[in-house]
Amino acid sequence: MATEATAAAALPYKRTELMAICAAREIRDGEIAFIGTGLPMLGGMLAKHTHAPNCIMIFESGVVDARPKRTPLSIGDGCLVPGSVMLCGLTEVFGLLMQAGHVDVGYIGGAQIDKFGNLNTTVIGDYRSPKVRLPGSGGANDIGSLAKRTIIMMKQDRLKFVQKIDYVTTPGYLDGPGGRERVGLPRGGPACVISDMGVYRFDPQTKEMFLETFHPGLAVDEIRKNVSWDLVVSPKVRATKPPTKRELQVLRTRCDPEGIFLGT
Amino acid sequence: MADSDVAGKLMPLAEAVKKFIPDGCRLRSGGIAVRKPFAVIYEVMRQRKRDLTFLMSGWTEDADWLIGAGCVDRLEGSYLGLEALGLAQCYRRAVEKGVPRRILIEEYSNFGMTMRFMAAGMGLPFMPVKSQLGSDLLAVEAFRHPKAQVLEDPFGSGEKVALLPACPADVALLHAQRCDEDGNAQVWGQLGDDLWGTYAGKRVLLTVEEVVPTRVIRHDPNRTIVPGFRVDAIVRTPFGGHPYQVQGYYDTDRAFRRDYAARSATLEGWQSWADEWVYGVEGHEEYLKKLGEERLAKLRAKPVMSGRVNYGY
Repeated sequence: MATEATAAAALPYKRTELMAICAAREIRDGEIAFIGTGLPMLGGMLAKHTHAPNCIMIFESGVVDARPKRTPLSIGDGCLVPGSVMLCGLTEVFGLLMQAGHVDVGYIGGAQIDKFGNLNTTVIGDYRSPKVRLPGSGGANDIGSLAKRTIIMMKQDRLKFVQKIDYVTTPGYLDGPGGRERVGLPRGGPACVISDMGVYRFDPQTKEMFLETFHPGLAVDEIRKNVSWDLVVSPKVRATKPPTKRELQVLRTRCDPEGIFLGT
Repeated sequence: MADSDVAGKLMPLAEAVKKFIPDGCRLRSGGIAVRKPFAVIYEVMRQRKRDLTFLMSGWTEDADWLIGAGCVDRLEGSYLGLEALGLAQCYRRAVEKGVPRRILIEEYSNFGMTMRFMAAGMGLPFMPVKSQLGSDLLAVEAFRHPKAQVLEDPFGSGEKVALLPACPADVALLHAQRCDEDGNAQVWGQLGDDLWGTYAGKRVLLTVEEVVPTRVIRHDPNRTIVPGFRVDAIVRTPFGGHPYQVQGYYDTDRAFRRDYAARSATLEGWQSWADEWVYGVEGHEEYLKKLGEERLAKLRAKPVMSGRVNYGY
């Protein structure tokens, strides 16, 4: 019985693992990366243990160059402290490091996204009487506004990849080319979206998201069905590079051995 | 002017909450998952405070509990969730269904909230930020008007900034590792929004893991976050940040947080959790007894000592 579940089970890794690995691959060696909890943190840790040993992880609780020895459950986790190079506060990391333009890459998640990469993490439904009240911006708006580029990580379906998001928590390219400049944002914008189905980039001219790679085991048509606008697909679309043995091994043994974010 | 009533600062938890947190006040607490003053939050619930405006950069269980207990009227802040453990369910019930009561929230970003605290702490009416521009954080207002203003640089650079109003608090809570009897308070580890959040308070209610001799403070004054003359009350609350961590003292109680996340999913579950851990407990000491020495011992931090510096001249 060749169901989707058995096809996915045939892969020697989980989709969450592939997402964390894709996140790691976005960090170049020596970059300053602003990291939140969850898969981005695993991505940062993995990058540091593999191809980007000189990347610097910054956390909004006030940690610079964290070297955690276990999986942090929260951005305030005490394991981020020993071995870091500087401990300060939120104003310093957002103001002195990020607003002033020293952060290369920041990670954010979302509950809804549109084709210009605008994100909603505030409400589903009407703002004043929402169907689901979500946590809100936190630092997401600051990261999406002020980092040199942002990586968006989220699960994908038609209710999440929507024509119009219910609340603009974090600006992507707003209404398209020139949108960020018009409102006065100093720099940045989404560089890519890593979903559980594929990896997307943004067209430099139209600022619209396009599918660059689909995760192994999925077809482009299936991905289209999980986007509620007419998705642009790269003419060079291909499968996402599967995890290497080393990536998987480091991720499982050094980044999240308990499966807190990867699942057990 | 220094407060001459120094001897009166150290007081029991119930008395401090009764004296310094009246119904309807603007209450600031520590955000960003760092040294959260949970012992005070529990006592505010037990004393059934009402109509608070709760101010913070990153709420988690603290705000969810106060909302579930019906203590909150309004929120000004940026995030309310249980981080990796999911959505804050009392918050959802209040906003989505008005249970146990309707609340209003005025939303900013994390950086925006801290800059608002900075303005209040410095005696300024507002501060500028370059985030929030173009987003619904500027466009959608709940109860503040205007909630923010976009200004083009009057000095001619052409740059735009969002001006955010100061966020003063009637009382700011701070949970510190230690202080002396004057309330000179020291913290280490991540600072989160504690520096500006504390100074945003007209009054400061300090809870600490330990009260130490003043010479300990004076041997390492760089670690002091607030001088005693800005502190109005001191409460000694060992494990006062439980279920969160305090650097050098104890780790996060992950099992406690997971249990709360699971039980608060339903209204009945929330009520049984609150009856067990808040209303069924007389005070902080009984709370620690209920947790038990074995559980607390497992949470206690292992020593990772700092180096020492020469303060000589």
